[in-house]
Parts: sequence; structure tokens; C-alpha cells
Amino acid sequence: MTGIIKSEPFVINIGPQHPSTHGVFRIKATVDGEKVIDAEMVMGYLHRSMEKLAEERTYTQNIPFTDRTDYLSSMSNNLGYCLAVEKLAGIEVPPRGNAIRVIMAELQRLASHCMAIGAFANDTGAWQTPVMWAFREREKILDIFEVTSGARLTCNYMRIGGVAFDLRPEFEPMVRRVLREFPPFIDEMEGLLSGNEIFIARTRGVGVLTPEMATNASLSGPMLRGSGIAWDIRKADPYCGYEQYDFDIPIGYNGDSYDRFIVRLEEMRQSLKIIQQALDGLPGGPFRTEVPLALRPPKGEAYARIESPRGELGYYLVSDEGPSPYRFHIRPPSFINLSALKEMTVGGTVADAIVVLGSIDIVVGEIDR
Amino acid sequence: MSKTLAPKPIDQVVKLLEQRFGKLPVAINQTATDANIDCPPEHFRAVVEELKNHRDLAFDFLRNIVGIDMLEEGLACKYQFFSYKNRQAVQVTVLTPPGNPHIPSITDLYPAANWHEREAAEMVGLIFDGHPNLKNLLLDEDVRIHPLLKAHPLQKAEILQGIEDTTPGFTF
Repeated sequence: MTGIIKSEPFVINIGPQHPSTHGVFRIKATVDGEKVIDAEMVMGYLHRSMEKLAEERTYTQNIPFTDRTDYLSSMSNNLGYCLAVEKLAGIEVPPRGNAIRVIMAELQRLASHCMAIGAFANDTGAWQTPVMWAFREREKILDIFEVTSGARLTCNYMRIGGVAFDLRPEFEPMVRRVLREFPPFIDEMEGLLSGNEIFIARTRGVGVLTPEMATNASLSGPMLRGSGIAWDIRKADPYCGYEQYDFDIPIGYNGDSYDRFIVRLEEMRQSLKIIQQALDGLPGGPFRTEVPLALRPPKGEAYARIESPRGELGYYLVSDEGPSPYRFHIRPPSFINLSALKEMTVGGTVADAIVVLGSIDIVVGEIDR
Repeated sequence: MSKTLAPKPIDQVVKLLEQRFGKLPVAINQTATDANIDCPPEHFRAVVEELKNHRDLAFDFLRNIVGIDMLEEGLACKYQFFSYKNRQAVQVTVLTPPGNPHIPSITDLYPAANWHEREAAEMVGLIFDGHPNLKNLLLDEDVRIHPLLKAHPLQKAEILQGIEDTTPGFTF
């Protein structure tokens, strides 16, 4: 039938208000029939100029801003920022503080991947059931955050030098429950989706990234590991004592959307392994170093990186010995991962573009800052 | 396994860079977390090409680009690179003279630089020569302010710019 129907390029806007864009984000796609021939990303609808606001607040007052960048993984963002300030000011964190940070960061990874997998299944057409199952499990983790920090999404729990409060007595049984109930859930999810013929047809071979494309575009996190590069900052540049824990780096082989999904599922299993080890060996002692409220780090600059659920999250700080940072810059992982979207969608269909976008797992709050 | 993966200590990277870049007019020092090369804009391309292509350096991963307002010294741009192969990190600082914020673009060497450079351009007003599409990324398309300059005030009047002149549609 090709060649009989004449078509000409046509621009469609996917977003800003569209359920598949996971926030206020727009793809200006030029399509020829069903095929995408060009794509332009338009963003900034959620820009709150955090980097400017942070220059007028003290180092401690900036922690709540980091919650609101990537609102699906606020603990990881707190951690990245606090590590940057600690490197700048040369502050040591006690072992208990580090272990609590590791448990929280890994719980956050579980919660964030639940959301990623559920929303991704939604985008492929498995409407609502997987996302609700994932939300049911994610709720247990948010309850733990609520008990510990008082908030479910914007936790504001990490502090420069440690964490804000010690763990409550309810904490351990709640985490043990997650450790017990998550493996069957992950198996269930895998059984539901990974062998499903429709799911495979929608995701396998869609949005393929070769290892060269992934490194050239500076991708990180599950996007990079899905393309077969075993790169994880928790192993490569350990922070918070990650070197003591035994875990593997799952990788994909084809670099398609399906592999990214499988990598996320497997990462959840590895996170459970880390939480188990950290909880069993939770040291006593202080959970925080005392740090002056109006901290004035020495003149200099520091870049701290962590493995957030979406990839390499970096915080770059410059100090001029004042009470607030001279420059505060965030390197958001999904911002960089998103820049590869054009390469992945051009040549595919419009329906595939939605699946590819879902497989990147973007958070618009983090992209726009 | 984790021992072989760990990044190279900063002083070793500094030594390596001193061997490679001793002839160029660049200064090599270190920050709290990384080795640093202070490089004038005219030698920047040569330094980055060497960083990317030389076998002992092989910085294939562009981490981050930040534009900073250094007040009377001019605008600075910081590039952070990492090498998967050699497990080492480096930062390149380019300080442009006041009134001449031009830096050659590196989008042809590192495709990832595209959005980073657009962000630095709109936020502090750096100009990346040779960039394919240097328009606003996060700010509105026709906005021509550079909010991260220190001279840009953080005031209510700025936030309400253009709105205060109009009469509100509702009266309470």
C-alpha cells in the first residue's frame, strides 16, 4: 500500500498537558503519517529558579529546595546536596548516620522504581492495574518515611553532618515488612509484564540505544545500564559506605525500552539486598555531627555525585566563605537522559515515542528546577 | 572488585595533566573534589580535544557544565569530565574577560554539551560560538535576561515584571 496514499509533514504537540508526558513537558513532533521525522523538546514550564533562590539562603535552608527538584526521590536529592556541602566544609558523618542514609536512599529507590514501572506499564497500554499494584507497595515505603521524617514526599530528612532525627522504634518492623513483602511483589510484576506478549511487542526493539550513543549523550542510571554498560556510582565512587555492602549491577543487552524495564526490576531486588545488610548491621552511636547553624565553608568548590534512582545526580557548590552558597548548581539525571529522546524517537511511530518517553522515567520538577 | 573500580586519586590526575599540558599556558591545581585546569578561552578547544582523544586521558563522559558570574573578573564556565576507561575526573575552568563572553562550543565533540551550553547561555549570558541552536531552554523563548548574574536582583518587582502595569480583571 505504500506510495498510494500521499502524506506530508505535519506538526503535532504532545503535551504540555498530556497524561503521557509525566508532568508539564512538550514534545513538538513533526510527523509524516504515523512516522516521527523530527522531534523538539520544549521545557521550562516548571522552572522555579531554585539556583538563584539558593544563593540568598543559608546552606541548611537550601535542603527543602532539593526535595522539590525530584519530588519522587527527595531522600536521594537531600543526600546529594548534603554530601556536596560536607565535601566543601570537610565534615565527617558518623557510621550510624551513614547507615541510615543508605537505608533511606535505597527505600527511596524502591519507591521511585515502583512509580517508574507502574507509569511505564501505563504508557504501553496496560492501563491502571500495574500502576495500582505498584502504588499499593510504594505506600508502605511512604509510611516509613512519614513515621521517620514526618512527610511522605518532601521528606527534608537529611542534614549536613547526618540526618535530622534518630529512627523510631516502629521503623525496624516496618522495614522488615517491606523486605518480606517486596520480593513476591517484584516476582508478581515480572510475571504479569515481562512475559506478556503485548508488552513485549510494545517495548522490545523500541527506542534502542547502543552503548556508544549512551556514552556520547552522557546518559546515566538505568538508561546507561540498559545499554549494557555496568556503571554505578555506588560501586565506582562509593559514598556513605556503600563499599561495605554486597550487591550486583544489573545490565541489559539490547538497550531497548524492555531492557530498561528489566534493569529497574532487578535493581529493586538489589536494593532490598542492601537494605537487609544495612539494617542487620545498623551501628549505634550518634546519628549526626553537630554543625553550626550558619555554616560558613572555606573558600572553594565541590562537586558531589550520587546514584539517584534516575542516574548520576550531581550537586556543584561554590563557596566564598559566606553563609550562603556563591553558586548552587544541580546536574539532574533525567534532564540529561531526556536529551537522548530525539535520537530514540525519530524514525519510529508516535505510539512508540510515548513508550520511549515512559522508559526514560523523567521527573519534570528535576528537569526544569 | 570495588577496589579496581575506584577513581584515581586527585594528585595522580594532577601529575598526569602536568605532563600533558606543561607546554600550554594553563594552570593546573585542584578543588575540594577534582583536579582542575584553568584555561584561557583561546586554548580551550585544544585542551578539550587532547582530553578526549589522548589514550592516557580519554575523558569520554561530559558530566556537567556550569556558568558562574565572577563579577569584575568576568564570566567563568566550568566543565566537568570523567573517563570510564581510566576512572578519573577533571574540571576545566574557562574564565572569559568582561565584555567578551565568547567560548568555542564543544557540541561536536560531546553531543551532551548541547543542552548544558544552552542552559549556561541563558542563565549567565555566555556565548558558545558554533553551537547549532543557542536559544533559551528553561526560560521563555523571548526572555532576554540572565537571572543568575549577581547584578540581577531577586525582588518582587522582577517577578511581577509586566504584570503590575495592567489592571487586575477582578475586583474584590
